[in-house]
Amino acid sequence: MHVLLGLVRPDTGRLEIAGRELDLASYSPGAALRAGVGMVHQHSTLVPAMTVPENIALAAVDGSILFRRARVRARVARLAEQYALDVPLDVPVAQLSVGQRQRAEILRTLERGARVIVLDEPTAALTPAETHALFPGLRRLRDAGSAIVFISHKLEEIEGLADRVAVLRRGVLVAVKGAREADARELGSLMLGRDLPGLVRPPAVQRAEVVPAFALRDLEAPGLREASRLKGVSLAVKAGEIVGVAGIDGNGQRELEEVLAGVRPMTAGRIEVAGRPVAPGVRSLRAAGVSHLSGERERGGLVAGFTIAENLILKSSYDDPRFFRGGLLELDPARQYARGVMQRFGIEPADPDLDIATLSGGNAQKVAVARELDARPRVLVAVNPTRGLDVGSARFVNEQLLALRSEGGAVLLVSTELDEVLLLADRVVALVEGRVVSVPRDADRAALGAILLSGAAKSAVA
Amino acid sequence: MTARLAASAALRPVLSVVLALGMVALGLLLLGYPPLPALGALASGAFGSSAAWTATLLKASPLLLTGLAVALSFRCGVWNIGAEGQLYAGALAATAVATRLLPGAPVAVLAPLMTIAGAAGGALLAAIAGALRAVRGVSEVISTILLNFVAIQAVALAVHGPLQEASRAYPQSDALPAAALLPAFGRVHLGVAIAVALAFAVHLLIFRTALGFRMRAVGLSPVAARFAGISPEGHALVSIAIAGALAGLAGAFEVAGVTERLYEGLSPGYGYTAIAVALLARLNPLAALPAALFFGALEAGAGAMQRTAGVPSVVTQIVQGLVILVFVAIPFEGRRPPLPGTPPDGAP
Repeated sequence: MHVLLGLVRPDTGRLEIAGRELDLASYSPGAALRAGVGMVHQHSTLVPAMTVPENIALAAVDGSILFRRARVRARVARLAEQYALDVPLDVPVAQLSVGQRQRAEILRTLERGARVIVLDEPTAALTPAETHALFPGLRRLRDAGSAIVFISHKLEEIEGLADRVAVLRRGVLVAVKGAREADARELGSLMLGRDLPGLVRPPAVQRAEVVPAFALRDLEAPGLREASRLKGVSLAVKAGEIVGVAGIDGNGQRELEEVLAGVRPMTAGRIEVAGRPVAPGVRSLRAAGVSHLSGERERGGLVAGFTIAENLILKSSYDDPRFFRGGLLELDPARQYARGVMQRFGIEPADPDLDIATLSGGNAQKVAVARELDARPRVLVAVNPTRGLDVGSARFVNEQLLALRSEGGAVLLVSTELDEVLLLADRVVALVEGRVVSVPRDADRAALGAILLSGAAKSAVA
Repeated sequence: MTARLAASAALRPVLSVVLALGMVALGLLLLGYPPLPALGALASGAFGSSAAWTATLLKASPLLLTGLAVALSFRCGVWNIGAEGQLYAGALAATAVATRLLPGAPVAVLAPLMTIAGAAGGALLAAIAGALRAVRGVSEVISTILLNFVAIQAVALAVHGPLQEASRAYPQSDALPAAALLPAFGRVHLGVAIAVALAFAVHLLIFRTALGFRMRAVGLSPVAARFAGISPEGHALVSIAIAGALAGLAGAFEVAGVTERLYEGLSPGYGYTAIAVALLARLNPLAALPAALFFGALEAGAGAMQRTAGVPSVVTQIVQGLVILVFVAIPFEGRRPPLPGTPPDGAP
């Protein structure tokens, strides 16, 4: 995609847009723009303090040095109307939802005259409802003659939207198919390079214990916003059970994760492991057998710039005499250990001295999973454990969670991916505006989505 | 792509020194000075005789200690610009002990106590910045720069007042008692050897201890460190305090080994050049040895260049600046160590 956008120059090959071959030697982001290529990035590239028309004027190519607010606004409004891309035009982007920002980005590419629109994982941060709101606009664009490249690893979205499907694997175009000829299973194995059998979910083991392995009692904690403040969260996870906490970002997931990891103080309530209250704090939680798989691998889970070995022992620096004896760092044992762990968890290349930042997202997450599971936890708090991963790595992570469950571990799965929660969890609850909402045992995707949105609807009215 | 130009990370410092010297030679040529004799005079003024070597080592020693101080705190993500002030604080504390508190003490008492006082003075000043950051979130870039003024003016105040020499003739302290002076070989005092030993010690601290491991984790990713039970604020405070102790030692060694008195303008900006030393060494304590030697040679050779070749000695300051500019401008392969410009991100 960076080649198409003019950011990276290809070594060989040709690029044609609308039948016209472009000169690759002088191809640049500006040339891409003039050729009508527009991109909607995975992460918003809008200025938060500006309104949508102001943002679009920033990128305008009409050559005018004046900013004519009313004129730009009218033009954007017309485009929005034409393509059913509904966006509030008079409030700062900071107040828009992720879905609205995305529609604004599409409007920006249209305003620039894009005829080829690339969307990079556009639904990664959208709720199911927002995803469905996005598709009619894209279809209308297609019918109006735009070419749309929709990058996604969610197969059902591709089936629902695409006319043709191309599968890229490790930089090689492995297949191009009409969407009607390809089914999800076939696409999955094309993406992976091997057949991906359905995930085997062993039956839950019935255990006699009365005391839950992991319990939260009336947790309260300050939030980044009022909606995300934790307001008396109570939950229990039994040994050998996966409890899924579904929710839309910003409803207290981050606060809950930080409290359970020990980095956010709670103002009330307590955390219990096997019936015993655990003192707050990262190290005491870990000592009690609570592992934490961070929802933000790059920021919260792993230290970029540290080697694989250093990352694997990151959480041991206070209490593991294997690697830290008498205040000294024992590098060789750490490397030795890392080699063993990498072999057991199938992490390649098996070089413990590689900077973690050089690994793919999937491999980096495997390192994080290996670190947490090798601590032999009684409890694992996993937050969005497969976000942004390729199909194969996501499968690996899911299998590891199920393996821990089979061994009698208690897993709290906090995820914004409804499919993941429904696939893995024995029991599902929803986190809505900092409160736990129960979900009926037989709830399907649509029913769960409706519960999650009920909170959003309520707050919109209030 | 820039891959062809990219230098391997280890070669980058050498390349930047060579390029900077080349650029200065070109500049000298344009200004009408023959560049080779000028650079030759610079080199012989720095390394041409045992006296030249002595001068170079005496300049390199405080640069090494303050350079280690900067490297250690930068490794922990603490942008400590205060090595200069910490040096002055160390010199002030050491002088106070030697001339006022224990002037008559025997060498076995005075020498260690004075050294400890120097380290403690630097550490205390640095800890103010560390504590302000840990408790109030004050940027250490601002606080350490401001504390430089405080320390430098505190020394001025002291040598005009409580620490001024008995004769009140000049704004300077009394000469240090003989028991306070560092043993020396020729003029090269014991502090030089201690500074070299400390380079190895700091290297071990950063790369071979649990504390160093945690400080590096904080420097690379404060958020991940926090999730691993490592307090970013606590380690930032510890790292800047140790850094302050190293810079404070530089101040104590300066008065006890070179000047034998405290006065204003004790340091020709060692604590600022230290930042260049640390950057050129890529924050590696062992690489700080040649880096400090290089900048020490520039300082020591500047006078000889002016006398022999008639080239103004300020040219060496241009070299200092160019080396760092070229260094940061050279594209290279591999990961950047944490350097200023990547603001510390410690919010939970």
